[in-house]
Amino acid sequence: MRWRLVSGWSAALILLLEFGCFALILAPRHGGPHTFANLANVALILKYSSIYGIGAIGAAIIIGSGGIDLAPGAVIALASVATGHLFVIEAWPLWLACCAGLAVGFASGALAAALVVLARLPPFIATLGVMGIARGAAFLITEGRFYDLSQRIPAATAPLHIPLSAWPGIVMLLSATVFQIAMVRTALGRHILATGGNETAARYAGVRVGRIKAFVYIAGGALAALSGVVLAVVQGQGKADMATGYELDIIAAAVVGGASLTGGRASVVGAVIGSLIFGVLRNALAQIPGGTFADRLILGVAVLVIVVMDRVATREDR
Amino acid sequence: MIVSRLSFLVSRLTVRRCVAIMFLAITLCGCTHSPDAHMLRFAIIPKALHIPVFAYARTGAERAAKRIGGIEILWRGPESTDEIRQKEILESFIAQHVDGIAISCLNGDLLTDAIDRAVEAGIPVITWDSDAPKSRRLAFYGVNDVEAGAALGDGLVKLLGGHGRVAVITSLGADNLQKRLDGAKAALQKYPGIEIVEIFDVRDDAVRVAEVIASATQRYPDLDGWLSVGGWPVFVRNALDPVDSARTKVVAFDTIPPAPDLVRAGKVQLLVGQKYFGWGEESVKLLKRITDGEHPAQPYQYSGMDIVTADNLDAYLEQWRRWEAG
Repeated sequence: MRWRLVSGWSAALILLLEFGCFALILAPRHGGPHTFANLANVALILKYSSIYGIGAIGAAIIIGSGGIDLAPGAVIALASVATGHLFVIEAWPLWLACCAGLAVGFASGALAAALVVLARLPPFIATLGVMGIARGAAFLITEGRFYDLSQRIPAATAPLHIPLSAWPGIVMLLSATVFQIAMVRTALGRHILATGGNETAARYAGVRVGRIKAFVYIAGGALAALSGVVLAVVQGQGKADMATGYELDIIAAAVVGGASLTGGRASVVGAVIGSLIFGVLRNALAQIPGGTFADRLILGVAVLVIVVMDRVATREDR
Repeated sequence: MIVSRLSFLVSRLTVRRCVAIMFLAITLCGCTHSPDAHMLRFAIIPKALHIPVFAYARTGAERAAKRIGGIEILWRGPESTDEIRQKEILESFIAQHVDGIAISCLNGDLLTDAIDRAVEAGIPVITWDSDAPKSRRLAFYGVNDVEAGAALGDGLVKLLGGHGRVAVITSLGADNLQKRLDGAKAALQKYPGIEIVEIFDVRDDAVRVAEVIASATQRYPDLDGWLSVGGWPVFVRNALDPVDSARTKVVAFDTIPPAPDLVRAGKVQLLVGQKYFGWGEESVKLLKRITDGEHPAQPYQYSGMDIVTADNLDAYLEQWRRWEAG
């Protein structure tokens, strides 16, 4: 069986081997608890990877459709600020403030979709504009302050008897399940990849390309906002400068997870695993002396190595 | 040729072979670091790695650890001022069950629940430079920021003779900067002849501050004074180039190089310095005392501050050389 380096399960294999490597490297030699391979640390990796992972699901489907989205970091911040403002200042119920935060994401995605589909702007430029608008709107709302949601959310809050800190991971896994089924088992998923693979051919085959593009940008905006709402509730703050620069990590996670920047290929599960691969790297490198200065470099090299190996393997497959 | 070879090699990778390669890598990596059970492991977390003052804190911490003995310093921080990343690092140290944590908080409120969890788990946490006052941290080491801000404000008022239009530079979010800003504003507002025309947020960015100063100089050509509650304008040599030093006085926080050169050049009239090496040194000593069972009598361990002007610049630089030499 020929093995494709990055696509769904093979990405999972890389993740498991990466975790195994670090578990052995960081194994205690003088007794005592394992500082890396313990349940609390795994929960921690899941919690922080989910900020990127939820956004990476949207990035994967947008990249699969042949587009790109530079706005998720800014939309995360705007959704956290909108949720915080309505919950803390306007005293809305938490669930309603969260819905409003998600609506902000839908609106950002709809704006990007309108710019790409109706105004026919290149996705890079359209979403660059949306990124500026979303970040700017967040600063306008907060005027440099932040909203302290934790004041109004009791520390022991545990929806469905599950601690708040476990919810980001759960939301990421649920979102990934829904979108993975949509991408693999429905005509919608096939149409998205067909649009990204060859837009003209897809159009001749009867795919409503405009609607497909609108869907992916709106879904991407909604997923970024979901990440922002979860961040605001779990971390207890809505702040305009949160998630600055995260868009590049989100795109990198989707690409490492098997999405092709030329379109036509993407994996939702791969994108989530991509974010976990980075989460494990960030977590483990922080435990290795000198790693704190090297982790950006190693993350960059990891992206290049995985993508180049995948590209070479894919070429050989053809 | 090389690409086709690489292509051939990668295409031959089966799952089994890949696993074998990874295990080989594990074996090769097997000689790397693992914690020594006999050493106390203290995590020292700065606000960000790119802010120059924190390099001195690291030197101080490592120096103190060497002097005391039996202490390993884990120096980790976010690459930029990323609050979520700093919290992730803090929580990672809690999961590692280190023996003590000393942190300069980017956003004290955001970190409060994690600090409380660490203390509940039996890990002593202290803050330095920037506090998390609502948390259960055992102590804070640093300047009294309200007093330091007031020293900047009073110094500028004295330079201006009680009259003038002033612009203020800050970075919103951090507890220490907010307190300095409060102290500076209170000092300036005592004088009816002083007008604060604007407060600029430079988001902890020494490049952005140059842009802000340049554009504000265009907008307020008759500005009499700049007051910066952080060291951003004096961390680089050219940020204050657009300022006419014959007309406009500048007072700023922090005294690390190249700030003293700017005082000597007459670009800056007053600096307020902190105990940069002390952040690391005193934090390690405090954590050691706490792990030995001696808790601080009161949480606020104020370090005092250094006021530097052209008059005492040489004496301060001599003192700085002694600090660097250890």
